[in-house]
Amino acid sequence: MTLTSKPLAFILFIVMFGGIAVSSALGWWQTESTKVPAAYTEGEFAGQANPADIRGSYTFGDISNSFDVGPEVLAQAFQITSDDPASFPVKDLETLYLDSGYEIGTNSVRLFVAFYAGLPFDTTGQEIYLPKPAADILLEHATLTPEQVTYLQTFAVDAAPAQGEESAPETESAPPAPEAPVSSTEEYAVKGKTTFGELAGWGVPQEVVEQIIGAPMPDAAMTAKDYATANGLDFETLKTQLQAEVDKVKK
Amino acid sequence: MIMVFGKRIRLFRPRTIWIRRLVQWFFFLLIALIAVNHTLAESGSAIPVLSSASLHAVCPFGGVETLYTLVASGLLVKKVHASALVLAGLSILLAIFFGPVFCGWICPLGTVQEWVGKLGRKLFRRRYNHFVPTKLDNILRYARYGILIWVLYVTATSGTLIFEAYDPYFALFNFWSSEVAPTALLILGVTLVLSIFVERPWCKYACPYGAVLGLTNLFRVFSIKRAVSTCKADGACSIMCPMNIPVDNKTIVRDHQCISCLECTSEAICPVAKTVVFTTGVVK
Repeated sequence: MTLTSKPLAFILFIVMFGGIAVSSALGWWQTESTKVPAAYTEGEFAGQANPADIRGSYTFGDISNSFDVGPEVLAQAFQITSDDPASFPVKDLETLYLDSGYEIGTNSVRLFVAFYAGLPFDTTGQEIYLPKPAADILLEHATLTPEQVTYLQTFAVDAAPAQGEESAPETESAPPAPEAPVSSTEEYAVKGKTTFGELAGWGVPQEVVEQIIGAPMPDAAMTAKDYATANGLDFETLKTQLQAEVDKVKK
Repeated sequence: MIMVFGKRIRLFRPRTIWIRRLVQWFFFLLIALIAVNHTLAESGSAIPVLSSASLHAVCPFGGVETLYTLVASGLLVKKVHASALVLAGLSILLAIFFGPVFCGWICPLGTVQEWVGKLGRKLFRRRYNHFVPTKLDNILRYARYGILIWVLYVTATSGTLIFEAYDPYFALFNFWSSEVAPTALLILGVTLVLSIFVERPWCKYACPYGAVLGLTNLFRVFSIKRAVSTCKADGACSIMCPMNIPVDNKTIVRDHQCISCLECTSEAICPVAKTVVFTTGVVK
């Protein structure tokens, strides 16, 4: 069979545009993001939306449609003050945090959503920064592994978005007073609300903590005070022992 | 074509495949309009009947770049859409049957290089497209496979379209946008300047998608074949070939660089009817 240019041109058009028509009919022809992240394909979470596929073009509302994270929570985490947080596009974070000195953007949202929703997210080799309010929300509300708590403590940063039409630091009237410098002693002081995750983040080895409490390492989000109360331990004694170990690694 | 005493005589023989030029113009304008409309859409003033898809959505190479990520995690690389996979599939299907017709007939970057090449052809006449020493040229032609491997590796490991920062095709249709990296603009500029001396320099030496499609030349269904019995061996087919393939030395063109432009065939430059043909059959 021999072909000349005209039939070839005809075939070319038929295949290209026919193929596009068929793929459209099958729902495969997508030239825009569907605003629905792809799902995990295997493992315990197969079929659930994967935060790693959150795109910059998504809004907080799009994210809340796929994950159990409300737009208000995201707005609070990333310090966005807006009448309509659901319409805030994730990609704008990068611009808003440009002057903060830290790269806070789509990847930060992916991490936050994954940790908040308790979904697997690979942070290996990645330095993903979160603003402190986001880390605080996670430490307070999410069920985190000690590794995740350590990660949060390493990459939670004091960063605020630039003041714009849609965002501003939470204080709206007077500018915030400069923070008093925190001495390393105060910074690493064991208090009632100090969590076991924080201890791990400060570098206290897990086996040392386990030796002090005489039990396996509790949940990272559990505070020392709560643990002492729940297990009938004297908090002051526990605090002193833990503080001694913190001082050893922070000398 | 007229009949004189029962014989078919061709009064006018086109020197080029004019319909290919028409198809090239069509796809160039289509992609250019889509790219402009994408910019207009961002400011809320898109032309309603025209697609405002991003260039990544209508670039089949994105479909190749995202393959690893798709298989490994079920996700597409950022900025790549499902349409790129469809286009990749369609152009590979075409290539399996007809060779890299996407390169020779559709790719707007190839078209632009050909347009600039016309200037070079006028300036240098027969020297045009013969500046690169043969030995060096033979080696450089494999560079695009190295680039393909590099692109696939960095895309797989980073999960982002690293190649976008070097892609002259993206720069060609987005030069007005802040999305284009200076490196991509530089590579586009170099490509266009080189096109004055060498026909389709990007396609020959650097295009990773051309590398993918070029492999189908080794087994494609329709091939360029030369009938030795009627060939005058005037070398016209080889001179005309934009990819410098010595067609007059071959009975079947299996060169990995052929772009199925048909410019070497008896329908175009070859003066003898049915001597260089695009066929599945055997020619003698």
